[in-house]
Amino acid sequence: MNLLKNKKIIALFFTGALIAVAGCKKTLDINHSPNNPSLEVGTPKIVFPVSVMGVAAVEGGDLAIVGGLWGEYITQGATSNQYKNVDQFDMKTTDYNAQYTTLYTYGLKNIQYVIDKARESEDWNFYLMGNVIKAYATAQLVDIYDQVPYSEALQGIGNLTPKFDDGYTIYKSLLAGLDSALGKDFTALTAIDLRATNEGNVDLLFGGDIDKWKQFANTLELKLYLRMINAKPAEAQAGIEALYARNAQFLEEDVIVTGFSDNPNLSNPLYEQNVRQLNFPNNLVASKTFVSYLEEHNDPRVEYFFGESPTPLDQGDFINTSQAALGATVFIESATDPVVFLSAAESYFLQAEARARYFAGDGAKALYDNGVLAAFTAVGSQGDSFIAPGGDYEYPQGTLAQNIEAIIVQKWVSFGYGLHFIEAWFERNRTGFPRTSPVYSDDPNYVPGEFVVPRNSVLGNQFPKRLVFPDAEISTNPNTPAQVPITTPVWWGL
Amino acid sequence: MLMLGGALAFAQNRLVTGKVVDDKGDPVVGASVIIKGTVKGLPANAAGEFSISAKPSDVLVVTAASFAKSELRVGDQTRLSITLKPASNVMEEVVVTALGQTSKKARVGYATTTFNSETINRTANVNAFDGLAGKIPGAEISNTGGPGSSTKIIMRGYGVLTEGGNQPLYVIDGVPLTDARLSAGSNVLSGAANVGTVGLTGQNDFGNGANDINPNDIESITVLKGTAASSLYGSAARNGAIMITTKRGKSGKISIDFAGSANFSKVGKLPTMQDKFGQGWNGTFVLGENGSWGPRLDGVVRPWGAIVDNSQLIKPFSFIRDNVRDFYTTGLELNNTIAISGGSDKSTFYFSYGNITSDGVIPTKSDYLARNNLSLRTNNKFNKFSINTSFNYVNRKVNQPATGQGSAAGSTIFQDILQIPVDIPITDFRDYKNKFFDVNSYFTPYAENPYYGLHNNSNSLSSDRFFANLDMNYQFTTELSAQLRVGGDADNARGFAYNAANGPEPGSWNAGGNTEGAPRTVDVGSVIESNNYVGSINGDFILKYNKEISNSFNLDVLAGVNYNQADTKTGFSAITNLLIPGFYNLSNSLKQPTTAFTRTRTRLIGVYSQATLGFKSQLYLTLNARNDWSSTLPIDNNHFFYPGGNLSWVASNTFNLKNSPISYLKFRAGYGKTGTTAPVYSIYPVLVSGAVPLPFGQINFPFNGVGSFNIQNTISNSALKGVITTESELGMDIRFLNGRIGLDVSVYDKSANGQILPVPISPGSGYNFLTENIGLVDNKGIELSLDVKPVSTRNVTWSFNYNYTKNKNKVEHLTNGLTKVSIFQIVGGVELDAVPGQTATGIYAFGPQLTPDGKVIVSPTSGKPLPTTNRIYYGNAENDYSMGFSNTLKFKEWQVNFSLDYRKGGVFYSKTAEQLLFTGGSVPTTYNDRRPFIYPNSVIQNGVDATGKPVYEENKIPITENNLQDFFPEGNNPALAYGNDILDRSFLKLRDVSLSYQLNERMASKIKLHNVTLTIYARNLLLWTPQSNMYIDPEASNFGNDLTSQLGEFETAPISKQYGVALKVNF
Repeated sequence: MNLLKNKKIIALFFTGALIAVAGCKKTLDINHSPNNPSLEVGTPKIVFPVSVMGVAAVEGGDLAIVGGLWGEYITQGATSNQYKNVDQFDMKTTDYNAQYTTLYTYGLKNIQYVIDKARESEDWNFYLMGNVIKAYATAQLVDIYDQVPYSEALQGIGNLTPKFDDGYTIYKSLLAGLDSALGKDFTALTAIDLRATNEGNVDLLFGGDIDKWKQFANTLELKLYLRMINAKPAEAQAGIEALYARNAQFLEEDVIVTGFSDNPNLSNPLYEQNVRQLNFPNNLVASKTFVSYLEEHNDPRVEYFFGESPTPLDQGDFINTSQAALGATVFIESATDPVVFLSAAESYFLQAEARARYFAGDGAKALYDNGVLAAFTAVGSQGDSFIAPGGDYEYPQGTLAQNIEAIIVQKWVSFGYGLHFIEAWFERNRTGFPRTSPVYSDDPNYVPGEFVVPRNSVLGNQFPKRLVFPDAEISTNPNTPAQVPITTPVWWGL
Repeated sequence: MLMLGGALAFAQNRLVTGKVVDDKGDPVVGASVIIKGTVKGLPANAAGEFSISAKPSDVLVVTAASFAKSELRVGDQTRLSITLKPASNVMEEVVVTALGQTSKKARVGYATTTFNSETINRTANVNAFDGLAGKIPGAEISNTGGPGSSTKIIMRGYGVLTEGGNQPLYVIDGVPLTDARLSAGSNVLSGAANVGTVGLTGQNDFGNGANDINPNDIESITVLKGTAASSLYGSAARNGAIMITTKRGKSGKISIDFAGSANFSKVGKLPTMQDKFGQGWNGTFVLGENGSWGPRLDGVVRPWGAIVDNSQLIKPFSFIRDNVRDFYTTGLELNNTIAISGGSDKSTFYFSYGNITSDGVIPTKSDYLARNNLSLRTNNKFNKFSINTSFNYVNRKVNQPATGQGSAAGSTIFQDILQIPVDIPITDFRDYKNKFFDVNSYFTPYAENPYYGLHNNSNSLSSDRFFANLDMNYQFTTELSAQLRVGGDADNARGFAYNAANGPEPGSWNAGGNTEGAPRTVDVGSVIESNNYVGSINGDFILKYNKEISNSFNLDVLAGVNYNQADTKTGFSAITNLLIPGFYNLSNSLKQPTTAFTRTRTRLIGVYSQATLGFKSQLYLTLNARNDWSSTLPIDNNHFFYPGGNLSWVASNTFNLKNSPISYLKFRAGYGKTGTTAPVYSIYPVLVSGAVPLPFGQINFPFNGVGSFNIQNTISNSALKGVITTESELGMDIRFLNGRIGLDVSVYDKSANGQILPVPISPGSGYNFLTENIGLVDNKGIELSLDVKPVSTRNVTWSFNYNYTKNKNKVEHLTNGLTKVSIFQIVGGVELDAVPGQTATGIYAFGPQLTPDGKVIVSPTSGKPLPTTNRIYYGNAENDYSMGFSNTLKFKEWQVNFSLDYRKGGVFYSKTAEQLLFTGGSVPTTYNDRRPFIYPNSVIQNGVDATGKPVYEENKIPITENNLQDFFPEGNNPALAYGNDILDRSFLKLRDVSLSYQLNERMASKIKLHNVTLTIYARNLLLWTPQSNMYIDPEASNFGNDLTSQLGEFETAPISKQYGVALKVNF
C-alpha cells in the first residue's frame, strides 16, 4: 500500500514536471531585446546619418591629429605627452586601431547597408549618396594603408577574414561604382527626394540636394584620378578628360558637417576627445612650419588657427624646456568647429591642377584664384590682395612644376580649415610639396613653410608615407599582409 | 489512518528530560536530539539540556558537531544523562550538498570544505568570506579594496573567458542568491574609458551582492568546488557553489546572542619612494612641477609652492619619510549583531539585527560602509508538514572615492597623491582652503589638491535589498517526502556621484601665473544619478525517496523541477558643466544631460534527478542528470543536458584497519558536467542608437535634430549552444591516529568547451565582434589539505591546517584560427590575453626589440631601446601555487589562532608603478644616480648585409640627463616601461591573528550569561612581497572581482589592516 501510494505521488510529480516543461516554450521566448530595435526595422534614412558621422568622427578626430602633426600645422606641446610618438614617427600597430575600426564598423558597414537597401528599393538618391561616402572613406583607407580589405569586406559572418586588395584595384572599383551610381535614373519614382518629404536633415552634408551629391561624386572622381598621376598617368589623364567630356559639374561649396554643439558627446570630434574628455588641450600647439609660412606672408589666417602673434614650437621639439617652448601657443579648438570632407577651395585647386596638367593651363589661374579666395573666405578673411598681381600668392606665370607647387602649397594652407589636415599629408606624398627643408626650423637659413624632420624623429631623415597595418586587423585576420616600412609610399605615392 | 496513528502515539507519550554532556562532564552545546525513525526532534539548549515527549520504546538519537552519534532507548526513565564521545571517525560528518540537501560526508564523492560560524566570525569580518582567505584549497579569495568593496572568490581557476563568468554560485538555505556588482552609473566623462573595454563599474567598487549577508547570521558555509558537486544546480554553479546555512532558532527558553566588535584600521602597503631627488623636471628645480625629477635633495631651506600675495612658503629641500602614509588616517569599524531566538519543539524563530559602520583609512567619509541587516527566520512543524521561512532585509550605503584616471569632471585622489614630489609634505595640504593650497595656488597646475577632491567630490551607492525564502516539506511516508522551496531576491540600488566644478581664477598661480606659464585645466564638474535593480525568483519542487532495500543496500533518490527568472534594470542620467557651484542636481547644467536605461530578463527551467545507491556504509554511487531550457538560447534549440556521477568508497569500512594507524580511509571519484547558457540578447541582430566612439568620448545621436541607428557591431549568432563544463575529480581522505592527522587530497581536470564570447574579428568584416561558441579552456589542479592535532589533552589542544593549491590553466584551442582573445586591455598598452596553447590569463605588453643573440636594439637617434611591434608575454596573471597555514592553540579558556596565506608566482600590472616612474617618485628612477648612461648591452642597426640580414654595431648614444624622465614612462619608452610596471604577484600575508578568552561556563552562569568570549584580533597584519614590488598590495584592484581584476590595478586605493576587539555573549 505504501509503495502504491508512493507510485501515485511520483506519477503525479512527473506529470506535473512534464506540463511545466511543455509550457516552457512560450515562457522562454523572451530573448528579443527591449533595449534595441530589431535589425529588420532599419531603413537607409535611419542608418545613413550615423554612417556619415562615422566618417566625420575619424576625419575630424584621429586623422586630424596625425594629419595635423604630419602636415606640420601643429606639434606636440612641451608640457604634455599625449601624441609624442606620432610627432616622432614612432608608430605602433595599436596607435590607429580606433580610426581604422571606426571607419569600417561605423562608416563603411552602415553605408554598405544603405547602398544595398537603396539598390533593392531602387532609391537611386540614397544609392548615389551611399556610393559617394563609400568611395570617399575607402579611398582614404587606401591612401593611408595602401592595401585594405575591400572586395571581401563588410560581409559580416559571410567572411570573417576578408583578403586585402591592392589600392589600384580598389580605386578602379570605387570609380566604377561612382560612375554607375551617377548613371542611374534619378527621375524614377523610387528615387525619393528627401526635401520633398521634409526629411532633408538626415543628409548631414547637403540637406537632401541630390544635385550637390552629383557634384561631390564628380569632384571625388577628379581627386581620385589626380592621385593616380604618378602610378597610372595615362589612366589618370583619360579619366579626367572623360569627366570634362561629359561636362561634369564640380563642387563650388564645402562638403561639411556642421551642427556640432558645446554639449558632451555632441561636439566636434577633435574637441570632444582632445579637450572635453582628455582635458589636455596643451597637447597640440602651433608648429613653426605652418606659422612661419603664414607670418612670412603676413597672412591674416594665422589668427583663425592660433590667435594673434602666436609663439610656435619647432616641429617635434617637445623636450624643449625653454620658456618659449613651454608657453607655445595652443591650437584653437572649438566644440562647434565643422568637419570638412571636401572644401570648395580643394575643389577649385583640383580643377586648377587638372586644367594645368591636361588643358595646357587653360582656366587654371582663375580656378587657382577661386581656390585661394575660397580658402580665405572659409576662415573669415579676405584674400584678394594676395592673388592680385604682385601679391604673395599670385599664380606663377612659370613652368607646370611651379604652377603645381603653388597650387599644392596653397592647398596645404587651405586644409587647415575644418580639420582636413590629413589631405595635406596625402598631397605631399603625391607631389612632394611643400618642399622638405634641408635644415631644422631653428636654423637661420630655414625657409618658412618648408617641412622639417621633426626633432625627435625615429626615422632619420625620412618621412612616413603610410601607417602600419593596425593591430585590430593583424590579430584577427590571417590575411593581413606582412608589415611594410612606413617610409614606403603607397601605390600612388612618390 | 494517519489520525489514528497520531492518537495512539499521543496516548503512550510522556515527557522525558535529559542532559547531554561530554566525557569531561561539561555540557555539549548545540546537540540535537531526535527520535529515531521520525523527523521529530529538537536541539538541546546551551546547557545541554532538553525535554522531549517520547514513548518508552523510542530510541533517541543524539548528535553534535565533532562528537560521535549516540543512541539511547528511552525505557522507563524520565531523566536521562547522555555522554557523547568525541568523534573517533568521521562517518557522521554531515555536509550541505547541492540544492541545500544534506548528506553524510562519507557518501559524497567530491571535495567539500565546511566552516562553522566561529571560524567565519572569529575576526569579526564585515564580509562573510573574507575570513576564509587562504583556508580553502582550490579557492582564491581576496578582498580588493576598502570598506564595502568586493570579495573575489575564484574556485579551481579561470575557466570562462568572460568577465563575471567565473563567479561561484552563492546559495543561502538552498536558494541561489544574486551576486551583482552594482555601479553608481557610467562615468559621463569617459576618462575612465581609458582603462579598457570592459566598462566603468570597476572605477568605483561598491561591493558584490553576496557580501550583503550578515556573517553573524551564518551557521556554516560549505564550499563545493567542483562541477561534480554542484552540477545539480545547473548553469549557475559551473564554478562551484558556496552553500550558506543560516542560523535557526532552537527550542527552549528565549536565547539572546550578542556579537560586537570594534576595530581600527591603518593603511597597509604603500609605494616606496626614492629619497635622493626632489621636486623638478629635467634635473632642475621647478616650482610648479608635479615630479621629483629635480636636483639632489640637500636639506637647504628654500621657498616652495605658489607665490601668493608676493609671499611664499619655505621648507627644507629634503625627503619626507612616510609622506604618503601620513595622508591616511585611522579607520574605525563597528560591527554589532543581536539575535533573539527560541521556540517550542514545533516552532522556532530566529530574529537578528546587525549594524555595521566602517570608515576606512582615507580621511573623511570618502571610504565608508554603513549596513543594517534584519533577519527573521522561522521553522515550524505540523505533524508531517514542516514549513521554514526566512526574511531578510539589508540596507546599505557605501562611499568610495573614484579611482583610475581623472576626467574633465575632476581628478582622482590617488592620481593626485602620486604626483606630489617626495619633498613636499602632503598633510600640509589638508587645509585645502588655505591661500597656498587652494584651487588657485596649489603648488602645481598638473594635479589637484587631493584633500579638495575628498571634501568636494562624492561617489555613493545606497541599496535596499530584500531576500526571502519559503521552504515547505511534507513527509508522505518515512521513505517519501516532497519539498517545495520558493525564494525571491530584490535589490534596489541608487547611485549618486558628483564632482565639484572648479578652476583657478584668472591671474592666479594655476591659471598660468606659475613659472612655467602652464594653466591648470578647469574641472567642469558633474552629477550622476543612477538606479540599479537586480531581482530574481527561484522555485524548486523536489521529491525525495529513501529506501533500505536490504541490509546491505540503501537507495536515495531525488527528482526535481527548477524555475528561475532574473531581471535587471539599470539606468543613469548625468550632467557635466555645473552652472551653480556646489549644487548637485541634474538640472544644474549648461549642457544637455546624457541618459541611458536598459533592462534584461532571463528565464531558465530545469529538471533534474539524482540517485545514490549505498552498500554497507562503505560504497556509495551517485548518479545525477539535469536538463535545462534557457530563454537566452535560440528558441528552437534552447535546451541542454548534462549528466554526472560520483563514487565514494570508505575503505576503512571494507577492510579491518583496527590494528593499523589508519582510522579512516576514503577514496572518491567524481565526474560531472554543467551547462552554461548564453548571455542575454545575443541571438537576434539589432540596431543600436547611433553613437560613434572616439578614442575618448563619442558623438551621439540624436545629433542636431537628426536621429539615427547603426547596425550593432557585435554579430549576433542564432546558432549559439550552451557551454558545457566537464570536470573529473579524484580524491582521497585519510586519517591517522584516531583522526589526529587527516589528509585530504584532490586532483581535478576541468574544461569548459564552447565558451560563448564576443570574439574580436577583423574590422574589415564590418563588425568588431562575433558572439560565438569558441574554444576550450582547461584547468588542471591539485588540492591538498592536512589537518594535524599534535596536542590534545584535557587542558591543551593544538591543531593546525596546512593547505596547498596548484592550478594550471591552458587555452586548448580557439575556433576560427583565432590567435588570441584579448580579455581586457588598457588602451594601447598592457593586455590580458587568452592565447591558444598558453594560459587564459597571460599578461602581454610591448618590450624591447632584441637581436638574435639577445642584445637590445636602440634607436639610432635617441639611444632608447626600440619597442617590439607586437606585444610580448610577461607572465601569467595567476599565481603558480598557493598555500595556507592556520593554527589553533587552546589552553583552558584561552585560544590563539592565526593564519598565513602565501601565494607564489604570477605577475600583475600596476598603474601606480607607472605613475611613479613618470613622476620620478619611485626607486628605479634613480638608476645610475640619474647620470647619463648608455643603455647596457645595446646595439644600433646599421643597414643590412649582402644577404639582407640587419647589421648591428655597438650603441654609443647616451641617454642624457634632460632626457632621463622620458626613459621610464610607457608613453616615451614602451620598450622598457612595462618591465618596471608589471610586477611579481607573490605575497605572504598574516591574514588574521586572534587571542580569545572564553569565560568559564560556571563563572558565566553566575552572572546569568553563557558563552562569553572576548577576542582581540588583527586582520591583514603583515604583508611580505618580493623586493621588486615596491608599490602596492597585489590583491588591490579596481578592475572588479573576476577575470579582468587579474590584470592588476589602475591607481587604486591601498589595502588596509585592522586591529580590534570582539565580544560574544549569550543571555
